[in-house]
Amino acid sequence: MANIQHIAVIGGGTMGQGIAELIASKGFETTVIEQSDELAKSAYQHIEMSLDKKLAKWGITPAEKKLTLSRIKVTSDFSALKDADLVIESVYEDLNTKIEVFKRCDELCRPDVIIASNTSTLSLTEIAASTNRTDKVIGLHFVHPVPKIPLVEVVRGLKTSQTTVETVLKLLSDLDIKGIEVYESPGFVTTRLIILLINEALYTLMEGVATAEDIDRAMKIGYQFQAGPLEMADHFGLDSVLAAMERLYREFGDTKYRPAPLLKKMVRAGHLGVKTGEGFYRYNEDGERVDRKEEQSL
Amino acid sequence: MKILVINCGSSSIKYQLFDMTDESVLASGLVEKIGTESAIIKHEPAGREKKVIISEILDHRVGLKKVLDLLMDEKEGVIKSADEVSAVGHRVVHGGETFARSVVVDSEVRRAIRETFDLAPLHNPPNLIGIDAAQANLPHAVHVAVFDTAFHQTMPDYAYMYPLPRILYHKYKVRRYGFHGTSHKYVSQRAAEFLGKPLEELKIISCHIGNGASITAVQGGKSVDTSMGMTPLEGLMMGTRCGDIDPAIVPFVIAKEELTLSEVNSMMNKHSGLLGVSGISSDMREVMEAMFDGNANARLAIDMYVYKIKKTIGAYVAAMDGVDAIIFTAGVGENAAQIREKVCEGLTFFGVDLDRDKNGMRSKEIQRISTEKSKVEVLVIPTNEELMIARETLALV
Repeated sequence: MANIQHIAVIGGGTMGQGIAELIASKGFETTVIEQSDELAKSAYQHIEMSLDKKLAKWGITPAEKKLTLSRIKVTSDFSALKDADLVIESVYEDLNTKIEVFKRCDELCRPDVIIASNTSTLSLTEIAASTNRTDKVIGLHFVHPVPKIPLVEVVRGLKTSQTTVETVLKLLSDLDIKGIEVYESPGFVTTRLIILLINEALYTLMEGVATAEDIDRAMKIGYQFQAGPLEMADHFGLDSVLAAMERLYREFGDTKYRPAPLLKKMVRAGHLGVKTGEGFYRYNEDGERVDRKEEQSL
Repeated sequence: MKILVINCGSSSIKYQLFDMTDESVLASGLVEKIGTESAIIKHEPAGREKKVIISEILDHRVGLKKVLDLLMDEKEGVIKSADEVSAVGHRVVHGGETFARSVVVDSEVRRAIRETFDLAPLHNPPNLIGIDAAQANLPHAVHVAVFDTAFHQTMPDYAYMYPLPRILYHKYKVRRYGFHGTSHKYVSQRAAEFLGKPLEELKIISCHIGNGASITAVQGGKSVDTSMGMTPLEGLMMGTRCGDIDPAIVPFVIAKEELTLSEVNSMMNKHSGLLGVSGISSDMREVMEAMFDGNANARLAIDMYVYKIKKTIGAYVAAMDGVDAIIFTAGVGENAAQIREKVCEGLTFFGVDLDRDKNGMRSKEIQRISTEKSKVEVLVIPTNEELMIARETLALV
């Protein structure tokens, strides 16, 4: 079995940053590859900010922060892939974009290297078909926020080999992450269930059954959710929620996956959640809620 | 007879090779960053120059092989063949309730060590990896496991049980185990030798004060109580650990600060103690320096630190109904004269009379720092856990 020491993460967005922070904090050399130097630099800064937040919450020490950062390199140069022992792709959730990235990885990576995709809804078999190593392509669907949620859905494509699955499961156990094996199906388990819940919460809000605050509170207190469904939607980004919903609708062809009209309306209005400062709630630049005065004063 | 003592961390191996005919150290060293292409070996053969080698070491087995190669090096080696190492003493942090003494490692012992993984998830797994690596490299040698907790297995039940629902003890073995056992045992034996009295007749309070710190009540050579508990977090205020606090603070802070379990654990283990209170450092020397410069937080941190040691000593005098000797050992205990002085200042009621001049003198040897008329002997004894592990190993070969 290959000895994995150096992992390349392609895409430095929210998920890519989280994945990079997690694997670097567990001792792996990590390279984040972005489209441009600016984006790469910004990914690094966001990882540093995330570590600072952890430091402020006593989760890590200054030395641990330094050590984690020392293991992370960011670049826009894809040739860095030739030193990688494993690749995790985490670019925009679009089939053609992902296929382009996989083709490039297939050319540049050593033939023994496993290429994993963080896709949540796309067909892995289709992505794998764009490479000459269909047995070494696998899905690793992380859950946001990555450094805090120790769960990954391990997705087998049609041709993914058992060795590849085992190598990846071993890696996940080194990362202290629980791997759940799932078969290829839109949304797998996590996305399919949570997106549907969010969509239903939107209908509930739209129909005036309860306020946003109370819908979230009902699920938090009633079912011990750490965050309510609408709060979650704000964190995922309403555009991402809509995109996932539309894909599920298209793939399954079942009206139960029809996106709530309110969701479309909010996306059109540019109220995408935390990243635009406004969704169901309002947020400051650090992503903290600013509409909860009584709790803020604590 | 030559005995190798090893102490494995998750990515490190500390080692010392002893010639037990005169207990001399032939070589010692440290392998760091195991599992990477740039692992570091710092090797120090006795009386020769230190060597630093950087190379790829992907696991403990390879790491130990490289150490053995260094020990057997044609020019600078200290042994000719690996066969000369007749035994290996392994430091194992947690022996649970199974091990009250050191044992020769066999498959039964391996299984029992594996069963303690839950109790010491950071330490015991690499300790076992070290045993496997050493057995692979030195199959002819006798391998002995020496446990940090073993010395404390003599504690009576009323000292080791917690007043929690008893089911937790039966299900998960939640109880006090204590740590630094090898050190407490070593220094109490040294104290008896130094005082020329049988250990069986002595009541000793042993203060192992380093970055981690614990105090043990040793009566008749047996540990009857110790300040660390199920984990090394309980007891004294330490460099970065909080030691005893009201347990209700934990759920309170979790709720208020919305912390995860790992965050609150890290807060109490890595952000508290001297560092947390002083806001300056976990290093006693730096905090003392700040105190002398008039820093109020540093003064508070040191006052709290000393007060907790004093309270614990008082408790153990009561536990044993008396005390013949108080020992200071480990980093702070051996070097920080002011801390020893502050602790002893408040113990006059028990008959402690400190000789300030002697206390101020530095020495690598065992030292008495109490006056002639002191009713209690106060000693500074340099600890030597590696030698103790080698002795324990020798006894079983």
